Formats: sequence, C-alpha cells, structure tokens
Amino acid sequence: MTTIPDDEATLRIEFDVMAKRAGLQIPDERREWLFEGFKDMRKDLPLLRQPRTAASEPAAVYSLDSITRTIVR
Amino acid sequence: MNDMNIVETALHELPIAEAGRLLRDGSVTSEVLTEAALDRIARIDPSIDSFIVVTAERARADAAQADADFAAGVDRGPMQGIPYALKDIYDTVGIATTCHSKLRIDNVPEADSVVADKFRQAGGVLLGKLATHEFALGGPSFDLPFPPTRNPWNTEHMPGGSSSGSGAAVAAGLVRMAMGSDTGGSIRGPAAYCGTVGLKPTYGLVSRRGVFPLSTTLDHCGPLSWSVEDSAIALQTIAGFDPLDPASAKVAIPDYRAGMTDGVRGLRIGVPRHFFDKDETSKEVIAAIDAAAQSLAAAGAIVEEITLPDYELFGICGRVIMYSEAFAIHEADFQNRPLDFGLLTWMRMTLGAFVTATDLHQATRLRRELAVAVNTMLLDYDVLLTATGLVTAPALADVKPGVANWPMQTMPFNLTGNPAMAMPTGFSASGLPMSVQIVGRAFDEAMVLRVGASLEAATKLLSRRPALA
Repeated sequence: MTTIPDDEATLRIEFDVMAKRAGLQIPDERREWLFEGFKDMRKDLPLLRQPRTAASEPAAVYSLDSITRTIVR
Repeated sequence: MNDMNIVETALHELPIAEAGRLLRDGSVTSEVLTEAALDRIARIDPSIDSFIVVTAERARADAAQADADFAAGVDRGPMQGIPYALKDIYDTVGIATTCHSKLRIDNVPEADSVVADKFRQAGGVLLGKLATHEFALGGPSFDLPFPPTRNPWNTEHMPGGSSSGSGAAVAAGLVRMAMGSDTGGSIRGPAAYCGTVGLKPTYGLVSRRGVFPLSTTLDHCGPLSWSVEDSAIALQTIAGFDPLDPASAKVAIPDYRAGMTDGVRGLRIGVPRHFFDKDETSKEVIAAIDAAAQSLAAAGAIVEEITLPDYELFGICGRVIMYSEAFAIHEADFQNRPLDFGLLTWMRMTLGAFVTATDLHQATRLRRELAVAVNTMLLDYDVLLTATGLVTAPALADVKPGVANWPMQTMPFNLTGNPAMAMPTGFSASGLPMSVQIVGRAFDEAMVLRVGASLEAATKLLSRRPALA
C-alpha cells in the first residue's frame, strides 16, 4: 500500500476487506465516521515509505536481556 | 460556569517540599492535610468530576501511618504524609481500577502497580482514583460509566486527556500532585489545558508494570503537578529499574532537585519553530512560546531556531504504532463486545485494524530515524523548546467522533522516548491556560526540570488558580 487509491470506491473495498479480516462489527450509524478516519490515516501512510538504508535496522530491537532478567528459578 | 468563591485555609497551596517541612517540625499533621483535601474534594469536585472514586478510608489510614512514623522518627522521604492521587489505570490493591470503562468496571486488582507501591512505601496518602479517557484514549465522552472531567478554568471546556482527572484535580487544588500516563501526550496535554506542570519522563525510567497499557512501546508514566519542584519530588519517588518491566532501563537515579535552581545562563535551547508556526495554530499560543523563549534568553540562555524532520512524519508514525498496538491489546473485545466501548474509544482504536504488518514495520523503521534526528540535535542543545498544543482547550461541545480534533505536538517525544515537560506560560484572552514543552536528552530529566524551574520563576503563574478553586 504505497499509494492511495484515487477513487473512493476502491478505498471502500479496501476498507471493507480489512474490516472483515479484522473481525470488526461496524454499526451502520458509525460506518461513515470510521471510513472518514480510515481515509485520514490512509492518506498519510505513504509518508512511512521513504528511501532509507539498512542503517534503519533493526528498528524494533529484540532484547533477550529483557526476557532473561524476568526469569527466576 | 464557575461561580464559587470559596475562602479557606491555604493548605492546598503548600508545595510538597514546604508541607514536608511543616510535617517534620510538627506545625501540621498529615491528618490535617488529608482532611483538608478530602473536604475540598467534596466541595469542589462535583463541578469538575475529576475523581472516579475518593478513597477516604485509605487516605485516613495512610495519614495516620505517616503521622505515627513521624512520631517514631521514621522518615520515608519527601512524599511521607503528602496527599496524592492516581489516574484510574494504575492498579491499586483492593481498589477498583476501571480504566473509565464498562469493560473493566468490576476489576479490583490483587496487587499494586509498581508506582502505587512506591508511593505507599514512601508514605504517601492516596486520596483516590482519577478520571481518564477510556483506556487512556477515548474521550471526553458522555457514554461511559463516569462523566468526563471538566476544565477548572472553564467548565464548558475539556481539560485535555487522557489524564484529564489528574490535570483538573491539580489545577483545582484538590491535590498537589497526581499521576498520569502519556502515550501520545496524555500527561502533557491535560497539563497544557489545565495550566499545570506535566512531566513525561524518559521511556524506561519509570516502571509501567501494573498500569493498563495503551500502546506498550509508547507508554510512559509520570506526574502532573502544580509546580516543577512537586514533579521533581514525585519523579524521585517513582524512578528506578524494574526487571519485570521489559522496557525498564538500568540507569543511575540522580537527585532531581539538586541543580534545579541553577538557572539557564549559558544553556543552549533549540526551537523547532516549523513544528508549531502553522495556520492552524492560535496566534496567542505562538506569542506565548515566543515570550517563553525570550524569557529564557533574558535569563542568559542561548536560544536558536532549529530544524527537525517534518512534524507530519512524527504524526503518522505515532498514529500507526499507537493504534495498531492498542487494537492488538483489545482485539478480542472489539470482536466480541464492541459496543461496550465508548463511541470515541471505538472510533479511534478501531483504526488499528486498518494498519498492515508492513505499515507497522515501516513505521518502526521511521521511528528509529526520527529518534536519531532528535537525539543528534540534542548533542548541540541542552533542551528543545516547542509547543505542547497548538490551541487552548476546546469546548466540550466541539468534540467530534473519530480522530481527535485538538492538535497537540506531543507524540514526537513518545516516539523518541526523550523526557518532555509541559509548562504553563500564560493565559489566552479567554482565560484559558497556554503551555510550552521542554524536551531533554535521554535520562536528563534534571536539565528539563532546571529549565522549567527557570521559566516558572519568570512567569510567576503559581498564584493564579481557577475561580472555583
């Protein structure tokens, strides 16, 4: 999803598929509000995709120490 | 609107350090402080709804214990005998921790959160649990089990969130210090709207264990208080390594008050003006930030304009991480009992369902780059000075469903984890507080507090309270 669909119908399909995949139950009266929130976030998602190097990794550092220090025999 | 004009003793105006001095020389007892606070809460809180529950019995027991300890020569530190309160996402043994939600209305923890336990061990007096936006996200809402908190400066306006009860209670003088939590600005936002100090410490400095999570890689625990020194005392009490909090950092804990009055002469302060100098920003807010910068410069600081990455990058990065982590925590409830969430919580948190795994990973990569950029800048500057919010507190009637429509500038430092403190700087023409944010190097809360103390001394706002207080 590096680009935004340029028509609302495609965006609605994306919205419906993702909602179904997440198991969401969306009351009719909330659907348009949520869709507007989805569009607002969706339009900014391309900002996450910018040229970057491997130096950006590892982004979410896995820390074994944070696990082993919690284990007490 | 506020029409009360209560004349009473000024016990609630005692700074924590001064109250501690009086407790130690026998001029006042914790019982007296506690009864005064309980009385004040009973009279004032019905107009602002900052408390979910007042734990009067527990408070009296804590006060009696503190007084007994003083009498026996036992001194547990500066919080001994001092009333405080906790946002209602902090677990408290035997006292419900509801997260302001129908989903946890009957949740009574069997153990204290680490922070609650530290205050107990330090001899603090727990006055009660404070209102929050539901699960520290959804509010202000009228469809939750408890009413939303109102802003003490104008009860038709919101107090900010999610630590709304904490900000309002401190501003109204119900408690000198209250604990909040901050995932995207939930300490600093209420502090800004209510005219208090709000300190988000460095990520990992204060244990989050026993505090209900919103977004685990962004969550921070910290105090809201009337003065900078009050926050320093609270931080001294709660900072420290916790091996059972995976994010906890093993760092030395300094004396946070030691250099607090050293002034700012020679310090370098960077101002990312492009963050807040926008069309949507209140001109009064910009003027207040400029005035704060000039005040610090007049006190000898070197103030320079700097450039950070575009604010919009911080914004989307934070939203993607926060919503997806929050949705993951609540996924089962969203699928099985979604209508038990308040509308605003449901609207905001549901957005996490629309984040893909790739979106999230790209966000975590970007997060690292943003943290590098901010911390590289902090090699050249002792602190950064920027906006907390772009406008003053909106009216409750203007709150809309969906994305929060009150622009804040707090998320960047949840992403980077740097310490950040909201400080009052003045009032708008309509009488609502304005605020600036001071951002420091990782684990250099002492410097943030030092600059805050200098600004506090210059602005002289501590004597101005809401009319109802």
